[in-house]
Amino acid sequence: MSVYGKSIWVFHLNTGSCNSCDIEILDVLTPYHDVERFGIKLVASPRHADALLLTGPITRETLPKVIEALTAVPEPKLVIALGSCACGGGIWYDTYSTIGGLNELYRILKEEYGIVEPPTIKIPGCPPKPESIIYGVALALGVVKQKVTTTKVRVD
Amino acid sequence: MSRLSWIKTSLEVGVVTKKYPFERVEVPEAFRGLPEFDPSKCMGCTACANVCTPDAIRVVEDVNEGVRRLEYRVGKCIFCGRCADVCPTSAIKMSKEFELAYKDEVVYIIEIRLTNCPVCGKPFTTSRHLTHVSGKIYEEVLENINLCPDCRRRNNVNSIIRSAGAMR
Repeated sequence: MSVYGKSIWVFHLNTGSCNSCDIEILDVLTPYHDVERFGIKLVASPRHADALLLTGPITRETLPKVIEALTAVPEPKLVIALGSCACGGGIWYDTYSTIGGLNELYRILKEEYGIVEPPTIKIPGCPPKPESIIYGVALALGVVKQKVTTTKVRVD
Repeated sequence: MSRLSWIKTSLEVGVVTKKYPFERVEVPEAFRGLPEFDPSKCMGCTACANVCTPDAIRVVEDVNEGVRRLEYRVGKCIFCGRCADVCPTSAIKMSKEFELAYKDEVVYIIEIRLTNCPVCGKPFTTSRHLTHVSGKIYEEVLENINLCPDCRRRNNVNSIIRSAGAMR
């Protein structure tokens, strides 16, 4: 991820979120947590951005807009999925009106538009703590190492 | 308030910004973070999977391999703590871990071996589950506890028929 070694400019996209993740984003931008020390700032257009910050389970209504915004971000791009809804659908994983998270979006992108999935950082939590968001950002920048890993245990 | 007094106030307050990724932070006492599973206690009763709202914990029975598989996906979890509440053996505890960002899908899997029915040889439940249940039920029904539900039903019907024949 050394391409993102410098400042990441972020375009925040709410895709049907309940707003608690968005409030945590504001928390992260306050002087107390101050994510701007990593060079991160919110921009008004996806064309100015390096990263797309997704919150929410991607409703059917927002799906075309999400795809439009995602294709408007210049390469190399990064997607940051914030909150359990964006990561795996959360409690809306099988609701009729949402597509249920980022994996489904990537499947649609691959099958219908032929776009390969961009590098993604997923930050679970409902909503994630501000520190948790900073940890995710630091993971994107390569400052810290990933803590959770897939494990398999077999018992009798 | 003039602008100079603002400068004075801010100099008195100093820097409030946390140095977070480079220092540890304390979380509140009742904070619910990543659920921790204790494979030595889990008996595969599927109580956690039944109450899991976002379907983060899923329990599937793999008859071919003869295991019951508990899969926990971090990405779906909303950290409500209901699984830790309902777990009868308290194998699940909510830890204080909040640094959960990941790149590829993270799954935690516990596989528990199924026991076979002594009559028909079909795998039906885990031995831990049987031990747990046998401590809680009447002694009269304990004789059929090792049988699978089908064999148990057949056994019961046969015994009823036998006792009815004896009466006649």
